[in-house]
Amino acid sequence: MTSELIYICAGSGLVGLAFYRLATCRDMLLRVLSLNVLAVGIAILFLASARDAGMTDAVPQAFVLTGIVVLVAVTAALLALAEQIDRQRDE
Amino acid sequence: MTTVLHALGLTLTTFGVSFLLIAALGVWRLPDVLSRLHALTKADSAGLALIALGAACLTGRLNTLLTLGLCVVLVALSGVTIGHLIARAHLSEGDLE
Amino acid sequence: MSLAFDVLLAFGVVFTAAAALGTHDRVASIAGFVVTGLLVALSLVRLGAPDVALAEAAIGAGLTGALLLRSAWRLKPAESRVSPPIDRIIVALIAVCLSGALAWAVYTAPGAALYPALVSERLAESGVTNPVTAVLLNFRAWDTLLEIAVLFVALILVRIVAPAHPQPVVLGELMLPFARIVVPMCAFLAGHLLWQGASVPGGAFQAGAILAGGSLVLMLGGFAVPTPRLLSWGMMVALLGLAVFAVAALSTEALTGTLLLYPDGAAKIWILMIEALLTLSIAAMLCLLFCGMPRRPLK
Repeated sequence: MTSELIYICAGSGLVGLAFYRLATCRDMLLRVLSLNVLAVGIAILFLASARDAGMTDAVPQAFVLTGIVVLVAVTAALLALAEQIDRQRDE
Repeated sequence: MTTVLHALGLTLTTFGVSFLLIAALGVWRLPDVLSRLHALTKADSAGLALIALGAACLTGRLNTLLTLGLCVVLVALSGVTIGHLIARAHLSEGDLE
Repeated sequence: MSLAFDVLLAFGVVFTAAAALGTHDRVASIAGFVVTGLLVALSLVRLGAPDVALAEAAIGAGLTGALLLRSAWRLKPAESRVSPPIDRIIVALIAVCLSGALAWAVYTAPGAALYPALVSERLAESGVTNPVTAVLLNFRAWDTLLEIAVLFVALILVRIVAPAHPQPVVLGELMLPFARIVVPMCAFLAGHLLWQGASVPGGAFQAGAILAGGSLVLMLGGFAVPTPRLLSWGMMVALLGLAVFAVAALSTEALTGTLLLYPDGAAKIWILMIEALLTLSIAAMLCLLFCGMPRRPLK
């Protein structure tokens, strides 16, 4: 059992957990949080599969880096929208 | 010399890890926010400093000691500030009740 | 030996994520999420991706945790409508099947990687020696340009929706010594990471995130009040990175005939110039995403 398999299992475990929580939760903050966990799980999967006999591949790393930055932008946008939804519900 | 350094590094790291375990135990079992905060900030900073010293001994390079020393300073600094802020928030919240 | 460490780390990641997603207390979930992010950063180091680990720790764990905490106080608690158990069992089964299928698909994917050979044979002419920086700012600079554009679009959305500025409570006397030490150190570390990103793990995004952290310390400590004027300045700096990158792309088109193909021998200078402005711009964008945008008074 190589170490990549361990991290592949961890990554897919995170994806499964996030999916379960996304589907069963009504709280918007927890949904955004599980979206983040989902993206992080996919990042681990990506990088674990990019590791080939001990050497890592630069292109998937660049993609995951881009993905992390895009994720923070999406999270900020989603949270702003969630606050707007709350304000609309008040009126 | 290197075996002495290696053994010293292992001892220091073990002590550091046990400090961190004690801090975690304290956070879990202590009853009050302020006592948990006390356990966390003290044991955490001490444990981290010991681990940093141990890691520097294990690698045997001065470079590592300086870099890890910077990390320890930053963690201690932020630990102190955060502890202060949490205690303040807790006490002012208690005043409101 | 290292396998045992990997197993413990992977188990820790899944356990903290489950703990974070399982609680219904918001602050506890966010704290668990930050811990998960840090453990994931450690496992990314184990997987041989230190640049990504730096970015994940700074942006994914730190800044996202700050954003979530800021919104935790503003969003109303949701009505707790518990779904019937049969629904939850079905979703759990689907989740388990999904994660199993993913793990199996990723593990048994055939084919050797074809990028490492391509990257290493062109690395010498890319202007930097760190392959990740070379890919981000030279070979796939187009993706990075679009990424900055995505950050900018998120900023525009935040401006249109206009959430309230965070109003920090007076935080106490220890913030001043803390800020006095941490903010200069952040500026120094950011410059250092930016410069060393050419040869060892580092780069513009990580440096920008650390600089954003320092600016947040200034803002939350009350030392830099988010007046509309300051926020407009921040907006200008944010725009500057995207504008300079776009202008650089267009001028490479004019100079060498292909978009984002740097002129021969000058690649390092181009990359450094773009990276330096990107760092400032990313720091400004991340800060503005946290504290909202300058308000325009409605006429």
